Order: sequence, then structure tokens, then C-alpha cells
Amino acid sequence: MNESMGARWKGVALVALLALAGSGSAATQLRGTEAPDFVLKSLSGKNLRLSEYRGEVVMLSFWATWCGDCRAQLTELAAMRDRYQEAGVELLAVSLDQNARQASEVTAEASYPVLHDAAGEVGRLYDVTKMPVMVLIDRGGVVREVFEGFRRGNEEQYLERVQALLRE
Amino acid sequence: MSARWIASASLMVLAAAVTALATAQQVPAQGAAQVPEFAPRADSAAEQRAEFRTLDEDVQDLKKQVLDLNRDLFLLEEELLFQSNTQTAVFISMDVGEFFGLDSVELKIDNKDVANYLYTEREAEALLKGGVQRLFIGNLKAGEHELVAVFTGEGPHTRDYRRAASLVFEKGIGPKFIELTISDREVRQQPEFVVKEWE
Repeated sequence: MNESMGARWKGVALVALLALAGSGSAATQLRGTEAPDFVLKSLSGKNLRLSEYRGEVVMLSFWATWCGDCRAQLTELAAMRDRYQEAGVELLAVSLDQNARQASEVTAEASYPVLHDAAGEVGRLYDVTKMPVMVLIDRGGVVREVFEGFRRGNEEQYLERVQALLRE
Repeated sequence: MSARWIASASLMVLAAAVTALATAQQVPAQGAAQVPEFAPRADSAAEQRAEFRTLDEDVQDLKKQVLDLNRDLFLLEEELLFQSNTQTAVFISMDVGEFFGLDSVELKIDNKDVANYLYTEREAEALLKGGVQRLFIGNLKAGEHELVAVFTGEGPHTRDYRRAASLVFEKGIGPKFIELTISDREVRQQPEFVVKEWE
């Protein structure tokens, strides 16, 4: 009896373990698929559509002003964008703040487009459940990488992937 | 001295080239006996070419069939999803656009949001260049309906501009096409928003 109970528990634990191992977060499951298209108003007042950036490597960053890691990541991404812009790299920073003013204060001197997703529609489209999330999209509009969270040093990994996509 | 060397070297190269050319021209004459041997190969090359041509034609035919099938499926899908007796489509076009820079259009039919579109600079330019966009396609039952379109954008003197245009229309048997046109009214120096019905 005890043996059969133990075996059943082991089975349950194994299934749970496999489920955990097999499930990536929702956003990472977009890898290899066509990046969902969207149009959002930028803080400069222009409407920007993702599909209009086909032909460029796009770093799509989901962030919010209250998230310290997001701001640190944006700084790194902005530097990379400035360096590789002429080679065809663009950064689209999608703010998930409720208030556009908060985002515009933080990115007052930004050279890249900052978009405001007040309703969170685009965040839902990309299944953003944690922040920051950086989606790397290739020239053909396919999601190639999804990076969740940010730690110092991650920028080297970003740079490596961006350079690889530029070489394709 | 060196000039003489170069001249003599050039002469030698030229002589070698002439000899090679002459040899090449003589080859068919020397190999005249081998002609029958080569003849079947020429035939097989021609056959191969013909085969390739047939294959190419087959591929082209197949491509055409796929395209035709795709078109038929598209039409079938449209017919099934939006049957002609209930089909209603709304289009948008712009004329001139000197007094209005389009930002977004919100479309309501019978007080229900059916379309909401934000225009990028490129899309607005495409409309200015004569493009017509299908903003909405859906099914409406026969009878009276009200359409309200709310346009937002940049008006004269770069001011924010928001204007609505409405139309009460009768949906009968057969599809209904409605066009929203934005044009300039020179006299009043204002944009004009017109809703037109197409029979």
C-alpha cells in the first residue's frame, strides 16, 4: 500500500517537474514566430507601427518608470541603438505606465521612440508578465530572442545577438 | 631596353594567342570523323532542353493553379463570412489634406464601436496620394442604421482637431458600400468630412 502511494507521489512529482521544465514564460514562447504587429502613439505625438520597421533589427523593450531594472536596461539599449542605428538597429521603448507624463519625464532626452501603451493592449499581445522584457526582432519581422529581467552584464549578451542579426 | 623587352614579350603573347585561335578553329576540321559520334549527344541536349521546358511549363501551370485556387478560396471566404445580402463595407479616402493631418478614425455603427484606427505618417501619406483604405467590413441586417465616424488629427494652424460625421443609411438586399472622404474646403480654410453611399 505504502509502496504504491510512494510510486504515485513520485509520478506526480515527475509530471510536475516535466511541466515546469517544458513551460517557458508566455513571452518567450513567441520565439521563432512573426512578431505581432501593433500601432501605438509615441510620446512625440506620432503613431508608430511595428511592421513599418521591417528591414531593421528592432529591440522592443517593455518597461515602466517604477521599475529600476527597466531604466537600467533602457540606458544600455539606447547606447546600443545609438551605436548601430546607421547599420539598421532601432529601439522601440513601450511604456506600460498608466500616465504618459511619467514616462516622458524619465525619457525626456531620449533619442529613440518611446511609445505609450496605456491600455496595456500591446503588453498583453506579447504576454508580458514580468518586467523588463526585451524582444529582439530580426529584419524579417520574426521574434528571435526574448530576454526577461535585467542584470548588469546582460548587455553583452544583447550586443552579441544584435551583431549576429546584423550579419544575417 | 626595358621597352624593347616589353614589346618583344607582347609580340610573343600575341603570337601564342593567334596560334591557339587557329588550333581551336582547326579542331572541328580534324575531328570531322567524330561528328556522327557527337550528333546523338546534341540530340540528347535538345531533348533535355525540351524536357526542362516542359518541366518549367508544368511548374508555371501549377503556380497558376495555386494562385487561382487561392483567389477562389478568398472569394469563397468573403462570400461565406460576409454574405452579399448583409455585407457592409466602409472605406476612407483623402483629397488634398492641406488643412487636416489625419491621426485616427473611430467608427461606430448603431452606437457600437466597429473600428478604431491609428494612422502612421506613411499611411496618412498613402491616403493623400490617392490610396483608399477599407476601414471596416461586416454584416448588417436589412433596415435603417446609423454610422458615426470621429476623425482626430491636426487641423488648420497645427491645432488639435476632432470632428464627427454621421450618416443614417438604409441597408437593403445586396451589399452596401460607404465612403468617408476628407477634403479641403478652400473657402472656409477648413477640412471637410463627407460620408457617401455607393450603390
